[in-house]
Amino acid sequence: MFPRLPVMLGVLLAVLFGLVGRVLADEVCAIDDGGREVCLAAPAQRIASLSPGATELLFASGAGDRLVAVVDHSDFPPEAVKLPSVGSHDRLDLERLVTLQPDLVIAWVTGNPAEQVERLERLGVPVFRIEPRDFEGIATALERLARLAGSEAQGRQAAERFRQGLAELAARHADAPPVPVFYQVWDSPLMTVNDEHLIGKVVTLCGGVNVFGDLSRLVPRIGEEALLAADPEVLLAGGRGEENRSWLDYWRRYPDLTAVARDNLFFVPPSLLQRPTPRLLEGSRLLCEKLEVARGRR
Amino acid sequence: MGGASSSQSRIVKAQGHLTPGHLAVTLGVLAALALAALVFAVATGSTEVSLQESLVALAGGGEALSRTLILELRLPRALAAFATGGLLAVAGALMQVLLRNPLADPYVLGLSGGAAVGALLAMLAGLGSALISGSAFAGALTATLLVFGLAHGTGSWTPSRLLLTGVVVASGWGAVITLILSLSPARQLPGMLYWLMGDLAHARAPGAALGLLALVCLLVVPLGRSLNVLARGGLQAAALGVAVRRLEWLIYLLASLVTAVAVTTAGSIGFVGLVVPHMLRLVLGNDQRLILPACALAGGTLLVLADTLARTIIAPEQLPVGVITALLGVPTFLYLLHRSR
Repeated sequence: MFPRLPVMLGVLLAVLFGLVGRVLADEVCAIDDGGREVCLAAPAQRIASLSPGATELLFASGAGDRLVAVVDHSDFPPEAVKLPSVGSHDRLDLERLVTLQPDLVIAWVTGNPAEQVERLERLGVPVFRIEPRDFEGIATALERLARLAGSEAQGRQAAERFRQGLAELAARHADAPPVPVFYQVWDSPLMTVNDEHLIGKVVTLCGGVNVFGDLSRLVPRIGEEALLAADPEVLLAGGRGEENRSWLDYWRRYPDLTAVARDNLFFVPPSLLQRPTPRLLEGSRLLCEKLEVARGRR
Repeated sequence: MGGASSSQSRIVKAQGHLTPGHLAVTLGVLAALALAALVFAVATGSTEVSLQESLVALAGGGEALSRTLILELRLPRALAAFATGGLLAVAGALMQVLLRNPLADPYVLGLSGGAAVGALLAMLAGLGSALISGSAFAGALTATLLVFGLAHGTGSWTPSRLLLTGVVVASGWGAVITLILSLSPARQLPGMLYWLMGDLAHARAPGAALGLLALVCLLVVPLGRSLNVLARGGLQAAALGVAVRRLEWLIYLLASLVTAVAVTTAGSIGFVGLVVPHMLRLVLGNDQRLILPACALAGGTLLVLADTLARTIIAPEQLPVGVITALLGVPTFLYLLHRSR
């Protein structure tokens, strides 16, 4: 009765599969640092970044032109400064964020208020949480963000450049003589980092030995006496702002400290070390150079 | 007994005539102000939504975006602010009667300290927001029972003994809070400090708090007459046939429960519980039958207004609501105090 039915059915099925295939081809998925898989029906077009670090990562992975919202202190790259802010990372203006209608929000696991991020999810906004804790975490964050934003090639390139740069540094300093190092995060209270911290990992990468690396807290608060007792060969400091060396000058009151006696008091711009972004490579190069200088002064 | 209760009503009468009409008008005016504050809160935000659009969204119509803004973000937060403010003011009024001390507020006996320790420990353990609230509530109840047990266990009991016990326990909680803060990772500190300052951005579903506010109002109004007598002193109240000890413990537990719910909703927001009852007394006189429901309405209104300003004044930056409550409340209070001389 319907001799052409099988043919028609076949065509219909082919069309359907084709459509499904197209839909599936557009779908992008990535696993976030909370361990959950986030899938979007199509690459994100309107992205909101809830940390200055995520903003840098997004620009580096080629998704900068799809950013519609950032948080305060998103100062790199310079284009980021012009984007609308939705408050500070630890106190978000959810209303303004929702009004910008993002189709993907990049949250910061421990930096953003959990309740506000959960509320965004309840409102149906896809949330991707990141918090790179090591070099590889930064590289994969670049790749994962690029996948969600549909700029995979650029993301992969950025990740490769980062991995390669670090591998070169590691190879160069693998056999370098160890240097006892103190890294100062803050002056009052006096704070440093342990070996688990990204900065601690950079110190190790450059052949340094973090004198407080074994402490259990990620950012330990320590006493001045403990530092004097540890007597590091190099004192490294970030500081308030990018050009403030007063923290280092403070230590000159202890001329018997090895680091002071050899003038191994070095400043490293904190924005190059304290954010988990590709700029960490630049910070690492600087830090390695300082340790080389210190080795030369032995 | 008959003589006692008739002299009790004489005393109450001497405090000023509270006719049902007067009560209804005063509460009606305060309720209208509260409603106006809620509408203002719902129609105001960092994103422009006109009053008309807001009302349409409240009715369930309008664009999806404005519906989300109004129904999902602004309304729950405004209602949570109202409930929290109302609960704190009622708890403050009750504590001031209980302790016969004008400086008493809902936190004076260490309840917010216990709640804070609970909340901060949950944050330190990295628990989710629901567990942080639960832990804060558990901390508040622990603090209440601790003070209850310590003050109850002793033979002779006076409000000043309860006050001393509570204040000392509160300092203990303060030390624990400082200890937790100094041992916590730097990255968690902002969240913890915001909790300690009080912050309605974390406020969850306001239903329970609103329900409790209504329930407490219904519960304390019949007690109003006895509270009036108690406010004039325990001995006098006992002479007039009030079961003082039982009434005092009832007030204590009620005020604690109310404060615990408020603190669990929005962290330890200060000022409202101390000053709103005093403001109302300056204007309305000291009749608890009027003051307690008035506190519920005025405390709620003040916090709704303060929170609306806190989230919009320098948007997208968000201020802690306590800053605004004090900035609005201090001049108002001083003005009323000056005028009442």
